[in-house]
Amino acid sequence: MNDDPSLAGELPGQGLFLIQEATHVEAHERSEPLGVLFWTCVGWIVLNVLGAIFANALPLKSALFQDYNNINVGPGWHHLFGTDDLGRDIFSRVVFGSRVSVAVGVGAMIIGFGIGAPLGMLAAYKRGRFDSIFTTIMYVLLAFPAIIATIAVLSFWTPRALLKIIIVIGLASVPLVYRVIRTATLNVATKDYVIAAKVQGATDRRILIKELLPNIAPIGVSFLLIGIATVITLEGALAFLGLSVNPPTPSWGNMINESRTVLAQNPWLVIFPSAALCLFLLCLNFIGDRLRTHYDVTEVKL
Amino acid sequence: MSDELLVVKDLTTTFTTNSGPLTAVGGVSFTLGQNETLGIVGESGSGKTVLSRTIMGLQPRRNVTVTGSAIINGFEVVGASEKAKRQIWGTEVAMVFQDPMTSLNPVMRIGQQIDESLRVRLGMDRASAKARSIELLELVGIPSPVERYNSYPGHLSGGMRQRVVIATALACSPKLLMADEPTTGLDVTIQAQILNLLDELKDRLKMSVILVTHDLGVVATRTSRIVVMYAGRIVEIGDTRDVFYHHRMPYTRALLESSPKVSNHSHTRLQTIPGRPPNLMKLADGCSFAPRCAYATDQCHNVRPTLQAADETGHYFACWNPLPSNRGVRAP
Amino acid sequence: MSADRTPLLKVRDLTVTFGHHRHAISAVAGISFDIFEGETLGLVGESGCGKSTTGKALMRIVEPSGGTIELRGVEMTRLSGRALRNARTHMQMIFQDPISSLNPRRRVKDIVAEPLDCWKKTPGSERDALVSDLLSKVGIDPAVYGNRYARQFSGGQCQRISIARSLAMRPQLLICDEMVSALDVSVQAQILNLLEDLKAEYGLTLLFIAHDLAVVKNVSDRVAVMYLGKICEIGPADTLYDEPAHPYTEFLLGAALEADPDSPMHSQVLEGEPPSPMNPPSGCRFRTRCPNATDRCAEEVPLPQEVAPGHQVACHYPLTLTRRARLAE
Repeated sequence: MNDDPSLAGELPGQGLFLIQEATHVEAHERSEPLGVLFWTCVGWIVLNVLGAIFANALPLKSALFQDYNNINVGPGWHHLFGTDDLGRDIFSRVVFGSRVSVAVGVGAMIIGFGIGAPLGMLAAYKRGRFDSIFTTIMYVLLAFPAIIATIAVLSFWTPRALLKIIIVIGLASVPLVYRVIRTATLNVATKDYVIAAKVQGATDRRILIKELLPNIAPIGVSFLLIGIATVITLEGALAFLGLSVNPPTPSWGNMINESRTVLAQNPWLVIFPSAALCLFLLCLNFIGDRLRTHYDVTEVKL
Repeated sequence: MSDELLVVKDLTTTFTTNSGPLTAVGGVSFTLGQNETLGIVGESGSGKTVLSRTIMGLQPRRNVTVTGSAIINGFEVVGASEKAKRQIWGTEVAMVFQDPMTSLNPVMRIGQQIDESLRVRLGMDRASAKARSIELLELVGIPSPVERYNSYPGHLSGGMRQRVVIATALACSPKLLMADEPTTGLDVTIQAQILNLLDELKDRLKMSVILVTHDLGVVATRTSRIVVMYAGRIVEIGDTRDVFYHHRMPYTRALLESSPKVSNHSHTRLQTIPGRPPNLMKLADGCSFAPRCAYATDQCHNVRPTLQAADETGHYFACWNPLPSNRGVRAP
Repeated sequence: MSADRTPLLKVRDLTVTFGHHRHAISAVAGISFDIFEGETLGLVGESGCGKSTTGKALMRIVEPSGGTIELRGVEMTRLSGRALRNARTHMQMIFQDPISSLNPRRRVKDIVAEPLDCWKKTPGSERDALVSDLLSKVGIDPAVYGNRYARQFSGGQCQRISIARSLAMRPQLLICDEMVSALDVSVQAQILNLLEDLKAEYGLTLLFIAHDLAVVKNVSDRVAVMYLGKICEIGPADTLYDEPAHPYTEFLLGAALEADPDSPMHSQVLEGEPPSPMNPPSGCRFRTRCPNATDRCAEEVPLPQEVAPGHQVACHYPLTLTRRARLAE
């Protein structure tokens, strides 16, 4: 029944709501800045991505060249991060290793969002049978242990290549993306402005693009960033199990994996790739979270 | 003055926001006698809700500064610790909130919710608490209270839930009941029932009631005195009939004339107040209503008026250019 | 009242049922009424009486489960697809929650232009001029506020923008669903006056749905009172308020609070609460709370009967007749 004139939350004089109402206009006119920390994080991510893309063009030592005269050297001028047990330059390997992480993270999320987001939006907007069928399928998939499935598929689908890893992880993320986007859309789709657009004669496509998309985009973007971070962690875990790209191609995950045996002699070998991974994920998560609160127009900003 | 139940003096509530300090309640003073009903009327942003919460001592801990004093039956609320305030909540003062759904715990039987405060506050045992709860449910007019004792809030209608909220508030027999928009969102026929109930309970239990509302109709016949608030300050205070018929502050008149009346013919043109309520962040030095007032002069824009006495006892208004007194002319 | 008595909208036996089988709730249980061109029909009732559902069913935001809706002779219930989208533009709706009615992430002038953009019939320059004109009509300066986002406005301003948007397609019928109930008294008066002005200027026909009796009377030419999915009384605003014929209407008016300490206190308060629409009483739906109810009320569904010109009531014992009989004695 949509007949309830209960005015909860809309009428004058409820607690601190009225304070927000009074400062409503001003708060948004001078939207508060995102902060130095936010931009530092963005800078770090950009630097990493650029490094990954242009690794070949950078004046770096080869990531594969084995210098047996300099095995397990500590950080220094000649080898910025030192060398590993085969005399390879760790700095170069960390930079080249980021390629795998960034490619897997971005690639898998493109697949996940490409399939999950449109389906989630459509399901929440259309409701009815379309919604029930897809939601049921997605929940069945979610109930299936994704990590184990990924491990199983990757150990079976040889030889392992970056593209295969991206496809497998990407498909595994579809139900998660679907669920988040569907919930976000459901919140918006019941708003009066969507009904208003409908009665003005807007087509479904127009409503999806003009009314729904801009309102779920902030949630989508922040989930995308956090999703990339999660996928990178997953790749690290797979690499640790020896299921990611084949050595000697470096990735942050397999560098950490290889360092296990020489941890006592050369702790740098685990510290640098771990630090790179950790910082990258931290920045992504922070940016995602900050963006969500910044663009959430409904959140009380007192 | 020992016969005053509540003495509020120069009460000011200031919130610290990202864009600077915001004075939601600015220097409010009034008193409330025993067994009296006081109405606090104002539009959104007038500070009436913040005022009632400040008197209760219910403001959030961070970003709020409260100065002045609010004494409930000898207890100073301003500056009191959470622990000390807990001693007066329920026994001296209790509150009925607007939304009965959010003030009741949806997963707890209504009987238990009333029992709880009886057992914790009054140290009753399980059996006598239950007996008293059923008594309270009967008092607030809930049919078949014994069965209802075991219901969940979700199974009751809005009006019934508000009755339960009132029963919960009355559990420890408070001397002051603060009702913040108790009937907003309820249907007219249910609203009449609840207001009658509050009236009846006030006399039966010898307590005082503060009715906070935006609806002049609610306070017109149910209160003995009214406070009219605008932009966090009292602009007029007095006996209900004086405020309705002999108001001196232009804002009070504008508020009265802009509400549609059932007794008017259809298509009666409504009087409106131009502009919008002021932004509390940018209050001018003068009268806050001056920018919307037809009688405003330079003095109004520059100097804030203080409350001054009208002809009637206990009737005060804050205005430099008040409407002429119509004593003896008696509005139609 | 309008001299032109051609019905713009003809509603016959409209029913709306939610849920299925045993859990079915008939929110609107067969109502019929006309809205004449140029008039305002007020629809008043308590929560759950089906007044908002009626409004939404007329726009086909909720699907009617039976009955006919005829707008200028065009049967609305059979349309679908593009024809339905087109027909909807002849009727527009303004919602209760001003904030939720506007997309917070769009600019004001785009919101107002949305209906025009949907149909792409208006060229760019004309579109901008029309939007500016509409915004000034509702008291929003297009030059200052046109480029702001909807989230930057207060409730009253949002409702003004909603009105501007609804007028863009020059609708014949405007359905106002509790449009002022979330606003402050002083803002409410501004919006009601604005609505009256625009009605005169654009020659609008209005269906004004609200729970506030005073507000409904203020804007309406005729008023219909709903109780539990049925219309119990319909008639000219002034007569209906002065001489209610249905006992429910009388109780409703008695419960309305006047902002006047000297207004007569109605000692008679309607007891109890409306029964569940899942299991409505037999015969007259109000009989369980009606002091005048007899056995006949439980057996026979009261049909609308005329007690005065244009004043119909669905009650076996209309108050006007008893009142008149008492006067005649």
